[in-house]
Amino acid sequence: MSLASTGSELADRITREELLIGGATALFLAAVAGAVAGGLLESAFVVSSLAFAPVILLLALGLNVQWGYGGLVNFSVAGFFAVGAYSTAVLTNGSDPHGLALHPAVGLVAAMAVSAALALAIGLPTLRLRADYFAIATLGFAEIVRLIVLNEGWLTNGGLGVFGIPVLFEAGVLSGPAELLNTTPRNVGNVLIGFLAVAVVFLVLRRVQSSPWGRVLRTIRADEDVGQALGKNTYRFKLQAFVLGSVIMGVAGFYFAHYLRAITPGAFEPIQTFYVWVAVILGGSGSNRGAILGGFAVVLILRGTRLVNNPVGAIETLLNAPIDVLDRLLFSVAVDFRLSLGLDLNQDALRLLLIGLLVIAIVRLRPQGLLPPQREHIWPAALGGGGDAPEEDRE
Amino acid sequence: MSTASYGYDGGDLEKPDQVLTVENLRKEFGALIATEDVSLAAERGSITGLIGPNGAGKSTLFKLISGFYEPDAGSVTLNGTDITGWSPDRIARRGMTRTFQTPRRIEGMTVRENMLVGPQNQAGESILSTMFRPGRVTRDERANLERAADLLELFELDHLADEPATDLSGGQFKLLELARAMMVEPDVLLLDEPVAGVNPALAEDLATYIERLNRERELTIFIIEHDIDFIMELADPIVVLDQGRVLTEGSPETVRTDDRVMEAYLGGGGES
Ligand SMILES: Nc1ncnc2c1ncn2[C@@H]1O[C@H](COP(=O)(O)OP(=O)(O)OP(=O)(O)O)[C@@H](O)[C@H]1O
Ligand SMILES: [Mg+2]
Repeated sequence: MSLASTGSELADRITREELLIGGATALFLAAVAGAVAGGLLESAFVVSSLAFAPVILLLALGLNVQWGYGGLVNFSVAGFFAVGAYSTAVLTNGSDPHGLALHPAVGLVAAMAVSAALALAIGLPTLRLRADYFAIATLGFAEIVRLIVLNEGWLTNGGLGVFGIPVLFEAGVLSGPAELLNTTPRNVGNVLIGFLAVAVVFLVLRRVQSSPWGRVLRTIRADEDVGQALGKNTYRFKLQAFVLGSVIMGVAGFYFAHYLRAITPGAFEPIQTFYVWVAVILGGSGSNRGAILGGFAVVLILRGTRLVNNPVGAIETLLNAPIDVLDRLLFSVAVDFRLSLGLDLNQDALRLLLIGLLVIAIVRLRPQGLLPPQREHIWPAALGGGGDAPEEDRE
Repeated sequence: MSTASYGYDGGDLEKPDQVLTVENLRKEFGALIATEDVSLAAERGSITGLIGPNGAGKSTLFKLISGFYEPDAGSVTLNGTDITGWSPDRIARRGMTRTFQTPRRIEGMTVRENMLVGPQNQAGESILSTMFRPGRVTRDERANLERAADLLELFELDHLADEPATDLSGGQFKLLELARAMMVEPDVLLLDEPVAGVNPALAEDLATYIERLNRERELTIFIIEHDIDFIMELADPIVVLDQGRVLTEGSPETVRTDDRVMEAYLGGGGES
């Protein structure tokens, strides 16, 4: 075919950015492995961080469908996250207030269905209106979810939270690796299940994004009028993107509930929405790979800060290092002052500080994100020329 | 007002085989009446020129016809169907699409991707089909890629197929917009200032393409254009709009010699 892309060679496909980021990632992984081997970092901490990572990755992938593909501003990431988590928690827990103890598969279906239904309920009346009304509606929804979770104790057990949520995967085969990594089989099982979910969602999204559906959403994001002039029912496409993204957030909530086995309203504060936005923008809006990369960066900050016990002290030591050197050079004659930040910074504050710095850095240095979308929104099998796509040709 | 000194003829509604009929269309923006009692019709396969001074209401009329604005009164009929109040996308699917006065570039898309947004009823526009009927999606996409390649060749844009559309020059982008609109396979095409800001050579090309599309595909075309020579060369009839109303309609020669037209232009909106 005359239009078929000729850039099928691997070398053509890998950009300088990808090389840089790939290299940095490899270095980082090597450093983590080294730290674990050298006894600086506990392997159990690494595994439990990895078990947590799918939560943020899934949320970021979901928001990317809404904001990255279609330009929809959803301020209710935490809301859909909570909806997914509570849907499964209420149905599958074995304790108060319900004790239904249904199978997690039921919880998964419920998490997805309830998220989808609520996304429809918000999107149907507001996606026809101007974009800002929709954004405001999502803000309102997040607040409603928070209030319901807190106040409807018969359903959600209120501020006490829901306990006794079953573990997803905990089999005998996991005890070997768990012992090796100095962690629990449950943690290992969570890593496996969590990343399986991420992989499935990623593959599905990659497929729909490179399809004509993804192309229409890209058009809507750039200029909705153009989409309409070209005969696209933009309202329907936006609604679909909003529902799809919200369902993925619901799945994130599902995984989170079973990963923690106990959930309380405090886990779904609006700040979570903010973290996920940072992940998507950092990675590169519209790029699935970017959402994964940005998600990992946010996880790194959220989890990494736990390792720093006295952040202010650490920063002060760092700032004072040159003075120390100077001091030593001058044989302790001239310099006898040290910087003191006079701050009381706990881990939470440090976390926010780092995220804030990260946001400033992205906006200033790389507004398009680390891995902005590169692939054309063209169905790959159609570019493959004659008949060399047997898998795609099956109906 | 000076306009009172000459009468408004209105458009000619007595044409055979009307593909588009506009009757008594009206649009107000607050106190401003942007479109007032506009009636006109287009014969299938014709090229109609729409001229008039700045602010005469040409673009507003296009938006009313194509569904981007809802009229306060009047009706629009396309191929015998009353499409008044329809959404733009529904109207496009019925066979009428438009281009925009100011270039609307889709950021982050190549020329080829832009073209592929045009075709209607693509299997791959359904998420379910991308999951469960990939073969159909592939077939559709192949056909559309081929059609896009043909059109890009026709418009001599094929060498730019892989370029980001944002890198195109103003003139090239106007060409792309026209080509992209053709991917919709419309019966009626509304072009809002297709050669504004385009260099003369490319404008010449555009005229040739427009004529060719009109001839070969029985395409009915409406063109808004300030370049009088361009429009007189290309279109017949010419409709003159002034202060939201149809001043007159006629062949290029009659319009050219009509004193009222000159007066409308010189009057700069007739406020003097
Ligand atoms: N959305 C709107 N709200 C308020 N006034 C509007 C709007 N759209 C157009 N107008 C006004 O309606 C009048 C007609 O505008 P329109 O854009 O249709 O003119 P035009 O004939 O296309 O002019 P030009 O040749 O400059 O493109 C102008 O006075 C304009 O200011
Ligand atoms: Mg105009």
